Amino acid sequence: MKATVDLVEDIGEVLVTENQIQARVAELGAQISADYAGRKLTLVSVLKGSLPFMADLMRVITVPVRIDLMEVSSYGGATTESSGLVRILKDLSASIEGEDVLICEDIIDTGLTLNYLIRYLGGKKPASLRICTLLDKPARRLVEINVDYTGFTIPDQFVVGYGLDYNEHYRNLRFVGVLRPEVYSSAG
Amino acid sequence: MTLEDHPIAGPAPSAPPGDITRPPFAHASEAEMARILDFYAVRWEYEPHVFPILWNLQGSVVESFSPDFYLPDLDVYLEMTTLKQRLVRKKNRKLRRLKELYPSIRIKLFYARDFRALMLKYGKLALVESLSGSLGQVMPERPEEILVVAEEPVAAGSAPDAASPPPPVSTTARASGSRRARRAEARPTR
Repeated sequence: MKATVDLVEDIGEVLVTENQIQARVAELGAQISADYAGRKLTLVSVLKGSLPFMADLMRVITVPVRIDLMEVSSYGGATTESSGLVRILKDLSASIEGEDVLICEDIIDTGLTLNYLIRYLGGKKPASLRICTLLDKPARRLVEINVDYTGFTIPDQFVVGYGLDYNEHYRNLRFVGVLRPEVYSSAG
Repeated sequence: MTLEDHPIAGPAPSAPPGDITRPPFAHASEAEMARILDFYAVRWEYEPHVFPILWNLQGSVVESFSPDFYLPDLDVYLEMTTLKQRLVRKKNRKLRRLKELYPSIRIKLFYARDFRALMLKYGKLALVESLSGSLGQVMPERPEEILVVAEEPVAAGSAPDAASPPPPVSTTARASGSRRARRAEARPTR
C-alpha cells in the first residue's frame, strides 16, 4: 500500500462525474417523491459510505422525510476476529414499525451486508422496505437482491469517492473514480 | 411495495450457536468463504449434493459435479475456483454440462479474480496468495463419502446420453442414522 494518499494521482479514471451524480440524484429524488406521494418516508443511511448520497438525495425528495443512520461491522474489520459475526455498531434511533422505509446504500456488490440489513430491518416490521443505491456492481453479486432505485450500474472495478473509501480515504471526492491498482496491489 | 417484494434470505439474523462443527474444507479459500457467510449470517451447506453429469453406455455415472456450497435460504450453489485461469477450463466444461442437464439450478462461479476482489473489499488482500491456487490447497484426509439419493431432486433437463438424468445425490460423511438426520449432520450448525 502506498504510504501517502493523493486524491488526484491515485485515481486512474473518473467513472461518474459530479454533474452526472447530481443529475441522477435529482432524477431518483423525483421518482421517489412520486412513488411515495401522500406518504411519509424514513430514509436509512448505511454508514459511512452512503452519507453523501443520502444527504443529497433527501434534499431533492419532496415528501416528508425522516432520516436515520445505521452502521454495521464489515468482515475483516477490527471486530471480526473477536466475534466472527456481523455487529450492529449503530442501530436506528427510532422505531420504524409501520413506517415506509428506504435504505440508502452507496454501492451494492456482493449483497451480503444488504441482505443482512434487509432481514434485520424486516424484523422491525416496517410498512414497506425498499432499496436505493447510488451504484450497483452486479458482477460481484453473491446474494440476489431486488433493488428498487439504482443510480448507476458500474463495471467490476474498485471505485472510491462520493462516500466510498479505501482504507478510510477518498470519501471526500466529489465524483466516483477508479482507484489505480498500484495503490492497493502491494497492500499488506 | 411491501416487504414481500424483497425475498429475504431466512429469518431475522441471529447469532449462531457457539459450537460450530466445520466440515473438512478442501481449500483454504472455501474456509474463508464459509467464515464470510457465517459473518453475515447466511446459512450454508458444504458440498451437500453431487450432480451426475456423464454416464457410460451401461448407464453408470462416470463423471459428476459437486458445487462447493449450497445456500439453502437463497437456493443457490456457489463454486469456488481460485486456481489459475488456465486451469479452470475443465471446471468450466463441467459447469456448462451441469447447466445443460439441470437448467433449473442456480449456481454462481467464483473465479480467482472474484476472490481477490472480495479480499480487497474486506482489506485482506495480503492473504490472497496463501488462500488461493495450489498454495491454498490443504488436502485434508477426508472420510470416505457415501452417496444418498436426495429427497428433493432438482428438476433435470434432457441428457444427450440418457433419457433423463437421475436426480442429484447428497453426500454425507457418515453412514449411520436416518437420511434426514444424515443430511442434518452435513449442515453446519449455526
